[in-house]
Amino acid sequence: MSPTFASPPTWPWGVYVTPEPAETGITISEADFQKFREFFYRKTGIQFDSSKRYFVDKRLAERIEATGSGSFRGYFMLLRFQVNGEELQALTNLMTVNETYFFREEYQFQCLVDSLLPEIVARKIDRRPIRIWVMPSSSGEEPYSIAIYLLERWAGIHRWDVEIIASDIDTRILAQARQGLYSHRSVQYLPADYLQRYFKRRAEGYQICDDLRQSVEFTRVNLSERADTRSYRDFDVIFCRNLLIYFDDVSRKTATETFYDALKPGGFICLGHSESMSRSSSLYKVRKFPSAIVYQRPLEVS
Amino acid sequence: MGLIKTQPTVESVTEEVRKHPRDCAGLLAQLIDPNPTVRRWAARDLADCPDISAALVERLHQEADISVREVILTTLTGLGDATSVAGLVECLRSEDAARRNEAIEAMRQLPDAVAPIIRGLLADPDPDVRIFAVNILESLCHPEVERWLIEVIDRDPHVNVCGAAVDLLGEVGSGAARESLLRLKARFANEPYIRFAADLALGRLRDA
Ligand SMILES: C[S@@+](CC[C@H](N)C(=O)[O-])C[C@H]1O[C@@H](n2cnc3c(N)ncnc32)[C@H](O)[C@@H]1O
Repeated sequence: MSPTFASPPTWPWGVYVTPEPAETGITISEADFQKFREFFYRKTGIQFDSSKRYFVDKRLAERIEATGSGSFRGYFMLLRFQVNGEELQALTNLMTVNETYFFREEYQFQCLVDSLLPEIVARKIDRRPIRIWVMPSSSGEEPYSIAIYLLERWAGIHRWDVEIIASDIDTRILAQARQGLYSHRSVQYLPADYLQRYFKRRAEGYQICDDLRQSVEFTRVNLSERADTRSYRDFDVIFCRNLLIYFDDVSRKTATETFYDALKPGGFICLGHSESMSRSSSLYKVRKFPSAIVYQRPLEVS
Repeated sequence: MGLIKTQPTVESVTEEVRKHPRDCAGLLAQLIDPNPTVRRWAARDLADCPDISAALVERLHQEADISVREVILTTLTGLGDATSVAGLVECLRSEDAARRNEAIEAMRQLPDAVAPIIRGLLADPDPDVRIFAVNILESLCHPEVERWLIEVIDRDPHVNVCGAAVDLLGEVGSGAARESLLRLKARFANEPYIRFAADLALGRLRDA
C-alpha cells in the first residue's frame, strides 16, 4: 500500500496550483477528448462532461509536453500500455480536485461523537479498535479533524482504541497529508485553542503535531478499483465526502456496494451534504440523528 | 487507549482464507456460497472472466439477497452484452416489483445495448412490459428516445402505455412530436387523462 513518489512534494500547502501550460501548440480534438474521457472514467470513475473540456485539454497538453509524446495519439498509447502505470498516476494527480479544509461540514463530526460512537460502543462485544475510514482524504484535513474531534469531544477515547485510515487516489496529495503542512485558509474554521494545541507554527503556515501525524494511516486507494479496495474491511464508520459528486450513476452505485462490504454490519457511512447513495441506498438504512443524516448497513445478517 | 495505528490491511488480508483460487471456475462456485459476502465478491470479480453473463443471469434469477443481486446487476451492466440484456428483460416479467425496478434501473445505463431491442419491448404483447420499456426510456441517453416515444403514441392501443409515453414526451419532446400528440388526443377523445397530458406536453415541446 505504500505509494511510489520519487521526490518530496514541492507544494505542501492547501490546495495545489497547476502551472499554466507553456504554449505547446498541442491540440486535442473532440474525438480525442471523447476517447480520453471514456478511458479515464473506466479507470477512476471520474466523469468529465463537455463543460470540463478546457480543464482536461490543458492538463493533457501539459503531460503530452512533459513526456515528450508529441501528440495525443502517442500520449494515449503511453497511458494505456505503460506497465507500471506511472503516467496514469501523474495525470490522475493533475485531474483530481483536492479542495478541502479543517472542520468542513463539522456537524457530521458532532454526529460521530454524539450519536454514532455511543451506539457502536454500546453494541460492541470485543475490545478491538474502532475503525474509521476516511475515503477520500485529500491533503488530510478531514482525518486530522476527526482525530482532533475524538480527542477533544469524545470521552470514550480514554476507554477505546480508535484507528483512522485515510485514503486517496492522488499520491501527491497523500504526501502532503503525511507532511501535514497547512495554509491559513485551510485552518480558518478551527477553534484557536485547537490550533494552538495541535499545530506548530511554520514559516508559511501550520504543521500538524507529530502525535497526530502518527495517528493517521494514509494509503493510496482508487475507490473504483476492486484490487485496491478488496482488503478494506471491518470498518465501523466510513466518511466519503465530496467525491461521489464527481462520479456518474454507475460508479456511484459501485462505490456504495464497495462500502457495503467495507463496513461491519451496523456500520455507518457519512456522505457530503449534497451527495446521495443512488438507488443502492435501498441496501442501507437511513438514520436521522440530531446533527446529521447518515446511512447504516443493516445490523441483521442476511 | 486512544488513537492508534496498526498496519491496517495486512491483518485483514491474511485473515481472508480463500476457499477457491481466484480462477473463474472457483469464482463461479463461490457465487452459490452460503455467505453473502463471498457471493458479492465473486459477483464483482467475475467481471474479469470471459463469457460469464449467462451464469450471472442465471444466478440473478435465483439470488434472494438483494445486496448480492445489486452487485450482480452492476457487473451485468458493466458487461452490457446481449446475454446480459436478455437476462434483464426476463426480470421485467417478474412478479416481484423490486426485481423489475432493479432491471429497469440497470437497463437505463445501457443505451447501446438496449437500443437494438427496445422496439421489440415496446411492441411486447404484455402492456406492462411496454410500460416498463417506456420507463427505461425515461433516463436512457439515446438520440432516438423521442422517435420511439412518438411511435408508441401513434400505434399503441393501450391507454396506460400511451399515458406513460406522453408524460415523458412532455420532458423530451420537440416540434417533431406535435402532429402525433394531436392525433393521440383525437384517438383517445374519451380519455380525459390523455387529453390533459397531451395538452400539457404540447405546451412544453421544445422549439414549439
Ligand atoms: C474534493 S476532495 C474531498 C476531500 C475531503 N473528503 C473533503 O470532503 O473535504 C476529493 C478527493 O477525491 C480524490 N479522488 C478522486 N477520485 C478518486 C478515486 N477514484 N478514488 C479515490 N480517491 C479519489 C481526489 O484525489 C481528491 O483528493
